[in-house]
Amino acid sequence: MALSNGSARSRKSNPTVVGINFGNSYASIAVINKEGLADCIANEDGERQIACAVSFHGEEIYIGNQAKPQLVRNAQNTIINFRNLLGKKFSEIPKDQPIISAPVIQHPELPDVAAYKVAILQPAPTPLPPASVKSSSNTPATSVLPTPRSEPIPAERIITVQEVTSLFLKSLVQSAQDFLGREVDGAVIVVPSWFDDSAGAALKSAAEDAGVEVLQLLDEAGAGALVSITEPVEGLDPDRTSLLVDLGQSSLSLSVLSIRHGLLYAIGSAHHEDINTEQIDTKLVKFFTKEFTRKTKVPLTVCPSTETADKRAEAKLRLALEHTKRTISASPGAASCSVESLKDGVDFTGSINRMRFDMEVRTVYDSVVRAALDLLEGVGLEPLHVDEIIYVGGSASLPGLDETFFAKGFPESTITPFTAGTVIGGGIGDPTTLLARGAALQAQLLAEIANEDEQIHAAFRPESEHATVHATARTIGVILPEADAGDEGLGGQWVLGIPRDTPLPYRRFVQFDCDLGEEDKEERILGMELWEVSEGVKVEKIAPPKREKEEGEEDEDEEEEEEEEEIREKILKKEKQLGALAVKAEKARKENGRWKTRVQVQFLAHSRGIILIAAEVSEDGTGAPASIHIS
Amino acid sequence: MATVISLPITAPPTPASWIQDQTNAGQTISPASPFANLFANASFELKAIKLLPVGLAYLAHVRRSIHNHSFEEHDK
Ligand SMILES: Nc1ncnc2c1ncn2[C@@H]1O[C@H](COP(=O)(O)OP(=O)(O)OP(=O)(O)O)[C@@H](O)[C@H]1O
Ligand SMILES: [Mg+2]
Repeated sequence: MALSNGSARSRKSNPTVVGINFGNSYASIAVINKEGLADCIANEDGERQIACAVSFHGEEIYIGNQAKPQLVRNAQNTIINFRNLLGKKFSEIPKDQPIISAPVIQHPELPDVAAYKVAILQPAPTPLPPASVKSSSNTPATSVLPTPRSEPIPAERIITVQEVTSLFLKSLVQSAQDFLGREVDGAVIVVPSWFDDSAGAALKSAAEDAGVEVLQLLDEAGAGALVSITEPVEGLDPDRTSLLVDLGQSSLSLSVLSIRHGLLYAIGSAHHEDINTEQIDTKLVKFFTKEFTRKTKVPLTVCPSTETADKRAEAKLRLALEHTKRTISASPGAASCSVESLKDGVDFTGSINRMRFDMEVRTVYDSVVRAALDLLEGVGLEPLHVDEIIYVGGSASLPGLDETFFAKGFPESTITPFTAGTVIGGGIGDPTTLLARGAALQAQLLAEIANEDEQIHAAFRPESEHATVHATARTIGVILPEADAGDEGLGGQWVLGIPRDTPLPYRRFVQFDCDLGEEDKEERILGMELWEVSEGVKVEKIAPPKREKEEGEEDEDEEEEEEEEEIREKILKKEKQLGALAVKAEKARKENGRWKTRVQVQFLAHSRGIILIAAEVSEDGTGAPASIHIS
Repeated sequence: MATVISLPITAPPTPASWIQDQTNAGQTISPASPFANLFANASFELKAIKLLPVGLAYLAHVRRSIHNHSFEEHDK
């Protein structure tokens, strides 16, 4: 077949793509459904959160949630936590971690390569079938009965971090293929913000070994926000500040995001390895252990456990907690935790309600919110400036965490998937599937431009020049001067033009009604001043209103001293005037004795300057525009 | 086409004294001369940032910057 000249790229015009969230503990896969929306799919075990675990057991290899129970009795052949080791040299891996699974070892041949050594059973070589023995006619015929297959031979397998990853990704892609009924051509894979080049390169080659083309390694913040941008909760402005909270098994990631008409960047971000779900689990393990010993009188020492029986009991409890925590998130009632033969053959069934649960893990919730407040402070913002919280990661499904954000200073105006009611039942705000869905949306976008210029594709790679732009440091807008506005405040009506942290170029159109007074004049104008302002917060303390004693009420609640209430309010302060503009109102009409008109203002900002264009709009067309250009 | 945000506000009448107060600032610019530099030293504060390469808006941004298109040209 002859290829036409210049077809350097041979991309399928309609490639099948998926989004993969590859966490250190759990992974998930999403596809685009017939309605064009992203759906997280279940694998053949019915799991949407697929444990990142690979276990070798004799001739079998278990991958995913089936591999996790192997941590109880076959821990030394069960591999977990490999994602975080991608791209690391053996010498770079901390060795002081407690070992509850196959230990990381130095590869016996490859210098400074991290690997695992697992015991397997190798199938014995099958004896040669008789037909394959081509003998000369004179030799006696071999027996037609097949030789019985001999016992598999115990062997050792050395497997590198990258090879485990490849094995695991292959099973994910297989699940997607089974679901879709077609080959998967490419995937967008979500990675944490701290993933460096070598981790990314290792992941890419592991994916390629698994037969998947990586369309893009997508930052968690990008994947998380993309769902919010594509399917925003009602009431959210296209220009907003969002806080992304990812509470995963091994760490907490936070980002403050600027979202401006779909353009996105991180104003600030933080990563805390000392705040994680492991801590939640430890508290719960201790809680249930106490209950077990109290009920059964069987002694059990955990966190840390040293005896083999205790170690096994702890591992079993940790496995059982998966169910307990999911029940706590899903419903306000009590959640159970059951383990058959927890220790010494004694079974355990315990239960915990949401209130008790939240009490037990309170300190973890508090440190998550504390870290978020610190991050906001570091970028000069307050909870009051956060329009939206986006939750990601398993433990961000816990309603108690959301409640803690509101209890610790986030205003009611902040929209979260809990207040919007989109978490329950795998709604659009479900933190456990959000990243995979974001990745699927991005994969679809990249598939649609598969046949476009290389230049376009390059823009989605790291370090693209197109990603580096300027953003405004301060909020810019128009003040419509007002008589008797007083000295306090802005001196007129504020109209937001370009919010702070807005990448340029940027454009915003607004329209509003104008009152031009009652006087009949030859010329009517509407004055506008363009200002750079700074955003602050005014704190007002108000004493609680003195409560009138109701008749017959005793003084008993005297000691219940009510605290001063703090009212925090967003305020703007004039910083610098950038220009002024007068719009001639030629289309004004008199309504109820006052002249009225309507004006459209366009704010257009690029790094060389701002253009402010204002014109009357009326039924008989737009009026003459007035504009200024500030550079 | 860009969306127009309709604000639930009413602009107050501009005080008669306003234009005079702004002798060095405000003037009506006729549509024939669309741009004028009014504040020579009025540069506003900018900082360099890195966009996350994700979503349709980023794709549109890339297209505009590759083809050197303005928003209006891109709208078409
Ligand atoms: N609905 C739920 N309610 C509460 N906890 C949950 C829920 N779903 C999952 N989890 C818990 O979340 C944890 C896994 O979180 P996640 O999948 O975010 O981790 P990860 O991304 O793999 O880890 P990391 O980001 O730290 O590397 C597990 O402890 C799991 O039990
Ligand atoms: Mg994670």
